[in-house]
Amino acid sequence: MDSKRGRRLQRLRIFSQVFFVWTFFYLLVKSGGAEVAHLPQTGLFFYLDPLFLWVNLLSGRFLHAFLLALIPLFLTLVLGRFFCGWVCPLGGLHQFFTWLGSRRSCKKTMVARGPLRLKYLLLIVLLVASLFASQLLGWLDPFSLLTRSVATVVLPGGNFLLQHALESGGQDSGWAGKAVRPLYEFSRRSLLTVTQRTFLQPAAIGLLFFGLLLLNLRRRRFFCNTLCPLGALYGFLARFSLLRLAVNEKCRKCNVCADHCTYSGSPYQDYLKSECVLCGNCLVDCPAAAIDFRFQLPGTGKRPALDLGRRRLLGAAGCGLVVAALPQVAVSRQAKAHPFIRPPGAVAEKEFLKKCIRCGACMQACPTNAVQPAVFQAGLEGLWTPLLLPASGYCEYECNRCTQVCPTHALASLTLEEKKQFKIGTAVINRSTCYTYADGYNCAVCEEHCPVPEKAIRLRAVEVQGFRGRLKKVDQVYVVPDLCIGCGICESVCPRTDAPAIRVGAEEEQRENPYG
Amino acid sequence: MKRRTFFRNGILVSSGLLMAPLARAQAKPSAAPLTAGQVVQVKGASPYEITKRAVAEIGGMGKIISRGDVVMVKPNIGWNRTVEQAACTNPEVLRAVIELAFAAGAKKVVVMDNTCHKAEDCYLRSGIEAMARKAGAELRFSDENRLVVHDFKGEVLGKWPVFRDHLEVDKFINVPILKHHGSSGLTMAMKNLYGILGGNRGKLHRDLGENIADAANGFRCHLVVIDAWRVLMRNGPVGGRLSDVELRQTVFASTHIMHADVAAAALFGRDAREVEFLQAAFARKMGEIDIARVPLKSLAI
Repeated sequence: MDSKRGRRLQRLRIFSQVFFVWTFFYLLVKSGGAEVAHLPQTGLFFYLDPLFLWVNLLSGRFLHAFLLALIPLFLTLVLGRFFCGWVCPLGGLHQFFTWLGSRRSCKKTMVARGPLRLKYLLLIVLLVASLFASQLLGWLDPFSLLTRSVATVVLPGGNFLLQHALESGGQDSGWAGKAVRPLYEFSRRSLLTVTQRTFLQPAAIGLLFFGLLLLNLRRRRFFCNTLCPLGALYGFLARFSLLRLAVNEKCRKCNVCADHCTYSGSPYQDYLKSECVLCGNCLVDCPAAAIDFRFQLPGTGKRPALDLGRRRLLGAAGCGLVVAALPQVAVSRQAKAHPFIRPPGAVAEKEFLKKCIRCGACMQACPTNAVQPAVFQAGLEGLWTPLLLPASGYCEYECNRCTQVCPTHALASLTLEEKKQFKIGTAVINRSTCYTYADGYNCAVCEEHCPVPEKAIRLRAVEVQGFRGRLKKVDQVYVVPDLCIGCGICESVCPRTDAPAIRVGAEEEQRENPYG
Repeated sequence: MKRRTFFRNGILVSSGLLMAPLARAQAKPSAAPLTAGQVVQVKGASPYEITKRAVAEIGGMGKIISRGDVVMVKPNIGWNRTVEQAACTNPEVLRAVIELAFAAGAKKVVVMDNTCHKAEDCYLRSGIEAMARKAGAELRFSDENRLVVHDFKGEVLGKWPVFRDHLEVDKFINVPILKHHGSSGLTMAMKNLYGILGGNRGKLHRDLGENIADAANGFRCHLVVIDAWRVLMRNGPVGGRLSDVELRQTVFASTHIMHADVAAAALFGRDAREVEFLQAAFARKMGEIDIARVPLKSLAI
């Protein structure tokens, strides 16, 4: 293929990547703040992910949408790792950062095998662990990683920077202020969130995400070549694919094709079918039109692929057993009390940990910023699973967005009416700190906000001894546990500034009831 | 409603209606500044029409707004609830007020509230966003970066952060909805002023009545229009259950915030003397607490 046609192919590939990155961001941004009826199908990319097809097979009722993942799986058997090079939105971002730091390869040696191999071994570890109900694929899966990072770090961070820049610019009294103020008003209306969204551990999630992006400047598509479990899965299949690159007789053996190879190999010197993502860079670079796509029937010729080594595979499987067992013998697996509540629709905890892919789609969709990525509240295994954190927000009575966007139904899909009945937990009043008990003052902010029409928080007029023993009337608040749905708005609005005097805990949560 | 309360309220309201002109006549020489605040109560078939009529009856918007004024219209948009659930001001009432303000020469009309539920949801679901846009008003969200400290100079409420937007306008029109409220009993115009406050407003629920009275006493409303088209009778202020809502088809207008509240309380069936914040307002000599002494004009169209 001559470099002109190669250039055309490369441009098509870049267009495709831009398209999928854009689609991904569009769906994700749209799912925040959208009306429930107009929620976009954010699950699309997850349904295209064979790893989650696998997770879904292992975790209870099968969701047919995941059959979509068979499409890229079969296409990979024909085309090779086209998905990594042409479709994957995280891959697209990594490609962009790789391009930012692009330099020609100086060393025209064979590509180091160790880093390439790591992702396969990681995949083995995670797959073996998943067989034993320790579902950790979501930590590294590209769609989970990207959704989680964008929802909890990139979008809120961008919101803060824009708000801050425009706001401080608008305070200027000169011409700069005049220019910026309309921009600020416009952004307030249509771009910025009314209140800044905040999340748990933005530093950890953000450093991981931006760190991975920056590593592209050192090594081309670092994450995709070294860590990505989905890339590894496609790599396994790609070695059997029909399409391959081949160097023809016009080759001058100059090895220029190594200059921009995405996996730092080269079709001439070090072609690895399992690593090639069909980016087309070599086709552009080749001065002699010596590289072609060619179909290779199964069972014919050599299929250059990464040698994984039997011992390494066995070792990885062994590591997988360890990783599988560790979370299962943690005390949190047995303790009947747990210090957190989950968003509405959450299935029973054991099943939840199996089904949840830690993607954070629910965190983006939650209008009140109540859904938060767990740190260690739910055990190490529960890292980045969604918690409902009344300290941050409350579960809006008239909303079921999170149950609609969850791609795996770890938060079961609930209608608005079902959600209004779904008991997340129960509120408990701390009588040593509640104003109406401890101080004998009227307050009732929690009662005001309680969204249950019959009021799960009520007032009881009592006489208490006030200062110097004088009797005074106080409306003391109390909870009706049977009516309380655990939405947490009471905790989030309690005016106490040391710690809320009313807390929502997992007591009586509906999901633990096997008959509920 | 119990029979006894029905009779009591009936007598209260009707005696109020009968004695209103009398009270005005009596009040004139003695305590003119106290009873100057006329309240007009209009009942009718359309929330839009009765609002227009009520404002016309107290002398028209032209008396309140000067040409070129920037006007803040402050409805209650506190909750993510629909019009039918009657937790937020009726958009039709709001539309009438906005249109009247523009007709009286207002340069700009701003609509905003500091909501209890998430602001975007409240603005949208209450129908107020769509209506305010249609009527040509500017819709603003409460922006925490625009808080300034305002001194209410009250007995319990002193300096407190207030959104600058409310202080920077020429005229302030308070357009609340009448509804039940758990801790304060009722919420109307005076309580609606909590929506201009920022900060930890929950703290102001200790001595709620005193704080509400101070807020109303320390901040000037040029016009009060109370929406009592649909009235949430129980489980306020958020409500949600349609069976708690009664259709009352009424609007109040006044330039006197306390009198407007006293009159609206009477419609609700509550004697103002039993409402803590109205007692506190009375103690601050803001106006009459006895409905019989409030100059109230009531008409049906």
